[in-house]
Amino acid sequence: MTKESKKYVCPYCGEGFDTAEGLKEHVFKMHKGCGLPVPEGGIRLTINKSEYELKVEPNWTLYYLIHDVLGLTGSKQFCDRGACGSCTMIVDGKPVLSCMMLAIECDRKTVETVEGIAAEGHPLIGAYVKHHAMQCGYCTPGFVVTSKALLDRNPDPTEEEIIEALAGNICRCGTYPQHVIAVKETAAKLQVEKAAGKGEK
Amino acid sequence: MSKQSEIEKVRMVEMFDNLRADKYPLKEFNYVGQNGPRRVDGLAKASGQADYTMDIQLPGMLHMRFLDSPYPHAKILKMDTSKAEKLPGVRYILRYDDPELPESENLGHVPVFENDKPLDGVAHFEGQPMGAAVAADTEAIAEEALSLIKIEWEERPFNLDPVAASDPNVPLSFPERYSDGNFWNRGVLDELIHGDVKKGFAGADKVIEFKFTRTGHTWIGPERPCGVWRWNGDCAEVWLKHQRPYVGKARISSWFGGIPMSKIEMHMLYQGASFGGWTHVDWNLGGLYCAAVVSRRTKRPVKYVFTRREDFFGGSLDEAVYFVKVGFKNDGTITAVNATAYHVNCTSPVFSPVLHLHENTRIPHLRGQQKSIWVNKGPMVALRCEQLVPVLVQTMVMDRVAAELGMDPIELALKNDGGEGHDMDWLNEQKKERGFEVRDSLKECIEKGKAEFKWDESWHKPGTRKLPNGRMHGVGFTWTHEWSDSSGTGEIAIRIERSTGTATLLGIRCDNGVDAENSYCRIGADELGMRLEDVHYNPRFDPGFHPNSPDSAGSMSVNGWATRHAARILKQKILESASSPTAPTQRGSYQPAFRNTKPEDLDIKDSVIFVKSDPSRQMSLAEFVRPMATQGPLANTEIQGARQAWSEPLFAYGYHVQLGDYNPNDPRERFCRQAHFMEVEVDTETGEIFITRVVNANDVGKVINRMSCEGQQYGGSVMGMSRGKLEEVIHDPVTGVMLNGNLIDYKVATIKDVCPIGTILVETGMGYGPYGLTGIGEDIATVVPGLLAPAVYNAIGVWIDEFPITPDKVLKALGKI
Repeated sequence: MTKESKKYVCPYCGEGFDTAEGLKEHVFKMHKGCGLPVPEGGIRLTINKSEYELKVEPNWTLYYLIHDVLGLTGSKQFCDRGACGSCTMIVDGKPVLSCMMLAIECDRKTVETVEGIAAEGHPLIGAYVKHHAMQCGYCTPGFVVTSKALLDRNPDPTEEEIIEALAGNICRCGTYPQHVIAVKETAAKLQVEKAAGKGEK
Repeated sequence: MSKQSEIEKVRMVEMFDNLRADKYPLKEFNYVGQNGPRRVDGLAKASGQADYTMDIQLPGMLHMRFLDSPYPHAKILKMDTSKAEKLPGVRYILRYDDPELPESENLGHVPVFENDKPLDGVAHFEGQPMGAAVAADTEAIAEEALSLIKIEWEERPFNLDPVAASDPNVPLSFPERYSDGNFWNRGVLDELIHGDVKKGFAGADKVIEFKFTRTGHTWIGPERPCGVWRWNGDCAEVWLKHQRPYVGKARISSWFGGIPMSKIEMHMLYQGASFGGWTHVDWNLGGLYCAAVVSRRTKRPVKYVFTRREDFFGGSLDEAVYFVKVGFKNDGTITAVNATAYHVNCTSPVFSPVLHLHENTRIPHLRGQQKSIWVNKGPMVALRCEQLVPVLVQTMVMDRVAAELGMDPIELALKNDGGEGHDMDWLNEQKKERGFEVRDSLKECIEKGKAEFKWDESWHKPGTRKLPNGRMHGVGFTWTHEWSDSSGTGEIAIRIERSTGTATLLGIRCDNGVDAENSYCRIGADELGMRLEDVHYNPRFDPGFHPNSPDSAGSMSVNGWATRHAARILKQKILESASSPTAPTQRGSYQPAFRNTKPEDLDIKDSVIFVKSDPSRQMSLAEFVRPMATQGPLANTEIQGARQAWSEPLFAYGYHVQLGDYNPNDPRERFCRQAHFMEVEVDTETGEIFITRVVNANDVGKVINRMSCEGQQYGGSVMGMSRGKLEEVIHDPVTGVMLNGNLIDYKVATIKDVCPIGTILVETGMGYGPYGLTGIGEDIATVVPGLLAPAVYNAIGVWIDEFPITPDKVLKALGKI
C-alpha cells in the first residue's frame, strides 16, 4: 500500500492511475486477452479439475471455503492449529494444511481433495479398504491425500519414506501400521500399471 | 409359529444371563472368523463420503458456542450480554439464569450420579462450558460474541491435588453439589475385601510398599463434540455425536414435559471416535438441551459445537495417587495385596484397584480402597477404559514382586494365575461346571507370545544389557483377563428385503470405527445361510431397535447373541414360509414354494433355499420373497393370474440380557486371558524411551471378524504406548488453568512412534458370548500403558513410579537431574 492512493486502480495488477484514460490504456496494453477481472475478494480456483470463481471473506481458511461453503466435507478438522493433518489438501501439487491457508491466498491455484482422488479411481482407496487403514475414519481423508501426494512425487517410496511423509497425520485409533502396508501395495500396483503402459494416475 | 421357532425362542431366554458356555453353537462357519475388507464403511471413509455430525449443514442453521470459565472455581455474580447481542450475526444468547433452564435435568450420564444443569452459573474447573450459549450465523461470530460478554465473577479457592483435597480442612472444590467435603464416594465401589490382608502380610516372607502416580490423560476424540437440533413442528430431529443412541433418545424424551419417542427422529452418523469421553459427560446432552431451547425460540436449526480445547476437559479415571503394599513368599506366591488409590473426580464408577487381582489370581488376601476426591478439574469418566485402575495395579504388583525376587515375570504370572483367591484347579472346575472345554488360557497366550517375541533370548537381569547404539535394552511382560463382555441388554431385528432378497440388520447404533457392523453381518450370514455380500447393516436409521452400545465396550457378546437369536428365528420363519401355502386369502391359496415339504426338510446355503434330500430343488431368497410390484409391495403384477403368489413379510427380532458386572458379585469367573510383551531402548543421556517391539496375545474365545480384532490390538497398542510415554494433561498450580489443551502441546503418538506390533489371537472358546467369544476393544489400550514401567525397569534397573514416563523422569531416576 502506498501513501498516495490513486483514484483509478487496475483490477488486474493493482497499479494506480490518475485518469480513467490512463487506466484504460494500461488495461488494453497489459491485460488484453485476460478474462473479466475478478472482483475484490474474489478468487479463481480449480478444485478437483472443476473451475470455480468465488467471493471469499478475508478470514476464511481454504478448509472453511471447501468444507463449509462448498460442502466438500471429506476433509476434516481434528485439531485447531495445524497439528493433525486431517485437513490436508493438495494445492499446486503439494500437500498443505488447508486450515492454515487463507482462501484469499489461493487465487488461481489448483486444489485436489480426497473426493477428487476417489473420483479418479486412485488405487489408494481400494488398498485402504482392503487393509482396514481406517477405524473411526475421521483422519482417513487426510492420510489418503498425504499418501497420494507422496506417491505423486515419489512413486516407489521406502517404508521409512512413507513413515516420514505421514508423520504429520495423527490417528487416534492407531491405524498407523496399515497405512504403510496400503501405500506400499499401491506403489507396487502403480509401478506395474506404468510398466504395462496403462499410464499412471 | 413353528415348533422350531418356539425352540429358538426358548433357547434365547435360556441364553440370557449367559452364565454358561454356548450350548448351541454352529458347527461350521463360512464368514465368522474370516478376514475380509472393510466392506461396510471402508469405501465411504477412504473416499471422504462418510458424513459425520460435524459435517451437517442445514438451511438456516445457527452455530452455537459456549462460554468457558476462565477460573477453576468461580460463580457468576453479574453477566452483561448487551454488547454481544448487538454483534451482527448473533441471533440468540441463552443465559444461565434463563427461567426455562431447569436447575437439574436428566443429561444422560451414569444413573448413579445426579442429574446436572444444562448451563450452570458456577464453574468448578477452568474452561468449563457454562454461563452462556451464543447462537450465531457462523461459529466465528459466536466466538467473537463470547469475548464481548462482560462478567463479574466471584473467584473461589480451588484444589488440584486429590491427596491434599481430601483433607477435611481445605476449602470445598464444588460446594453446590458436594457440600459434605471433597471426599465423595457415593456410587463408587468403596472397598473390596477378600480374606484378611493382616494375616496375609504376617504369612509373607517379604513385604514391599510402593507408591505410584498417574497424571491425567484424556480421550482426544478426533471429531469435536457436537450435535444438531431441528424442530419440525413438535417433532425433534436430532443429530448427535454420542456412543449410546438409546440413552440420548431416552433422555430427550424426558425433556420439555415429555416428548413421545415417536416424535424423536435421531440420526446417528459416522462418529469420529469418543472412546467413552463425551458420551459420559453431562454437558454433551446439556449442549443439545440448550440447542433445543434456542432452536425453538429462533425457529432455526441449531448446531452446538465444542472446541478442541473444550474437548480436553475431563479425562480418565486412573488419574490418581496409588499406595500399594504386597506380601509374598520367596517362591513367588503372593500372599496379600493392599492398595489404596486417591482418584480425581470419578463421575463414572471406578472399580477397585485390586479388582483384576481378585478376578485373575489365587492371591488369598486382598484389600482395595478407592477414595474419589473432588478437585477443580474436569470430570473423569470411563475412557478405554475404566479398568485402567485395576490393570495398572496388577502390572505394578506382579512386576515389582518378580523384580524383588529376580524372577521371570512370566513364571510369577503362571504361579499366581487362578481366580477369586483360588488356584487353577479350582478355576478349571468352574470351567467344567459351566460347560467349557478346560484350557489354560494364560499358558496358551504366553506360549504363543513368548515365541513371537523371543522372550527367552530377550529377558535379562535389569540394567545389564547395553546395546551397540549406547542405549539400555529392556523388556517387560504383563497379563490379565479378557474382560470385554460387560453387562447390558440389546435388541436387534433382521428383515429380508423384497426385490433383492438380501438381509438387513436393523438397530440404531453409533459407528465409531470398530467394524462391529461387519461382525454382526458375519454372524447373521452364517446363521441364516446367506452369502456375506447379501447381508447388510444400516446403523444410522432408527427402526426402534436398540442394540447395546457403546459398541466396542463389551457389546460384541450382547449384540452377537441378539443377532444370532434374531437370525435363527428368522431362518425358521423363512423355511416355514417356504413350505407353507402362499398367498392365503379368502379366495384361496397357492401351492407352497416347496411343495410337500416341512420346514425341517429345507435349508439355506449361499442365499439359496433348497431341499436337503434333493438340492436340485432350490430357489433363491430373492425369487422366494418376490419383487415388489405396482399393485403393492407383497404382490407381483398378476393378482388374478395363475402364477400368482406372494410372500409374507420376513422379519424377526432378537434380544439378549446379559448379567455381568465389574465387581465381586459377578457370578461369572473370567477364564480367558491376555498377555503382553514390550521391548524398549532407553537413552540414558537424554532420557528418551524408544519402544521397539510390542506383542499382544489375546484370547478372545472366538474370533468373529479377524482384521477388526487385530485392529484393536495394534490400535490399542498405539494408544497404550502413547498414554504410557507421552500423554499428560498439565494444569498450572497457581491459576488452575489447563496449559496444554491442544494437539501440539499434548503429545499423542504419531506414525513415527510406532514399532512392529505383534497381534496374536488365541481362541479357547472360554468366553460367555456366542460361540465362546469374549470380545476385544477396550483391553489393549488399557493394559499396554502400564507395561512401560517394567520394561524401563528392566532397561535401567530403577523403577519409575510416575506415568507418563517422560525423559525428565528417566533422567531423575538415573540421578542425572
